[in-house]
Amino acid sequence: MHIPDAVLDPKVAIATGLIASGGLAYGLRTLRDQLRDRTTVLMGSMAAFVFAAQMVNFPLVVLPASGHLLGGVLAAVLLGPWAGSAVIAAVLLVQCFLFGDGGLTALGANFVNMGLIGSVLGYAIYAPIRRAIGGHPGILIGAMTAAWFSVILSSGAFAVELAASGDWSRFPDVLGWMTLVHAAIGLGEALITGMVVRFILLTRPDLLEDNRQPAISTGSRWGQVALGGLAVSMAVAIFLGPMASSQPDGLEFVGGEKVKFLPSEDLAQPPRITAPLPDYEFPGLSRSRSAATALAGLVGTLVVFGVGLALARTFAGGKPSPAQGWEGIAPDAI
Amino acid sequence: MRFDDLAPSGEASESPLHRLDSRLKLVLTIAYVVGVVATPVGWWRVMAAEGLILSLVVGLSGVAPMILVRRWLGFLMLVGFLAVMVAPGHPDRASLGVVTVALAILAKNSLAFLAMMVLVQVTPFRTLLAAMGRLGLPSLIVSTLQFMERQIQILGDELRRMVQARRSRTFRRSGRLDYGLLTGLIGMLFLRSFERGERVHAAMLARGWDGTVRILDGAED
Repeated sequence: MHIPDAVLDPKVAIATGLIASGGLAYGLRTLRDQLRDRTTVLMGSMAAFVFAAQMVNFPLVVLPASGHLLGGVLAAVLLGPWAGSAVIAAVLLVQCFLFGDGGLTALGANFVNMGLIGSVLGYAIYAPIRRAIGGHPGILIGAMTAAWFSVILSSGAFAVELAASGDWSRFPDVLGWMTLVHAAIGLGEALITGMVVRFILLTRPDLLEDNRQPAISTGSRWGQVALGGLAVSMAVAIFLGPMASSQPDGLEFVGGEKVKFLPSEDLAQPPRITAPLPDYEFPGLSRSRSAATALAGLVGTLVVFGVGLALARTFAGGKPSPAQGWEGIAPDAI
Repeated sequence: MRFDDLAPSGEASESPLHRLDSRLKLVLTIAYVVGVVATPVGWWRVMAAEGLILSLVVGLSGVAPMILVRRWLGFLMLVGFLAVMVAPGHPDRASLGVVTVALAILAKNSLAFLAMMVLVQVTPFRTLLAAMGRLGLPSLIVSTLQFMERQIQILGDELRRMVQARRSRTFRRSGRLDYGLLTGLIGMLFLRSFERGERVHAAMLARGWDGTVRILDGAED
């Protein structure tokens, strides 16, 4: 589900449109140099892949509802940041023009949220973690952490766009509520991304190993580290932000919003199940929404990291043979 | 969103709008959508005129209204939710009331959405892409979209076959957490589409591909 027409203020739509076209133009120029004549063919099939992958519905544990992969970080991990974002752009265009999913005038905002933040910033989080841990576990844990953060950062960007379209007085509440919900959605995204990456590492590790990536110069490596640090600190700021602006009626507001809005938004359903603490169930913390939000962030990070470690243990005892991976994971998908 | 929706739905494909130049249709639709979105809340007459224009166009296009209504209902809840969320911060809420503003946002969105849907119904996607290219969308994006459009159908079939294979062998309805199977499905889909991309690329190289898409004269209409 993307931002539809007429929700954003024209100013916001124009501003995000400019950012988006600038980012896309830069990305396309980079890509043309990197992939040359392979670009269109490979990106076309990858865009079709992301589009199709979003149609695989994942059952949620309790409710009859289902969620699906968003794929920004997955595309970036598989193809690199700019190709990933271009793939997302293609998917967004098709969804906008063919299905009316996402408005024409909100294309820019959607691309900023999902392409630039999802893929490019997601990759900036993924790359340093991957380098720090190293090997297949590094790829896996980096991808999962990036997937989780990118969902939260996208929701944060969406909250900013909404606030800029209306007024800023309710911004802290909307932001807190959005990040709380998306901290849980992000867990699902991280889990799916991690398991897909694990599958590919078991079957075709050559696609994800370093030799496929163009060599990165020291300068841009530092740039990546800086970007990653920036992204993480932004995420921290998002969690701590609501804390700083403790409005007296914050809790009632969010409580009321939750009751009123949650049933009408299908994206809002998943968190109820997957989140370890979506309804502030920590007894001592029910008074303080901001503390609950921060705690959700902390617990979410730990959960993502823990699940990543657990998945990464696959690679601990030597590399399994490709055949084992094919049979062990998807015996009937072949 | 289903793959079936991608099938051309125009049996009555001989309305005047189907024959109109696709570039003109695209430009007019974009202008209409931007106009609708930019209409200030409270200009009821302008909005009524816009609605009248749209219903005229729908009538001309011969598109079955049920198709449009079905698509429209699919997004109504999300848009309504966002409209309710945005309306309390809208500058006109004091003079018009929050409910009116939310309804106006919903109405504006519906007009824009239906205009896009009519465009897609009367213009095959391939033609629309060619029109976008001739109107200045970067050729890299256009050709990526062209490849994507071809591959979506193939991948859709492949996905359906894989899901069927899974169903026929796992012998139970997927109710529990079989994320392993589903993610394996996605991973396999990735490998297949990636390898197909490479194969197609090799085949195109063998036929003299140099990175530019050439279209035969008249083939884009």
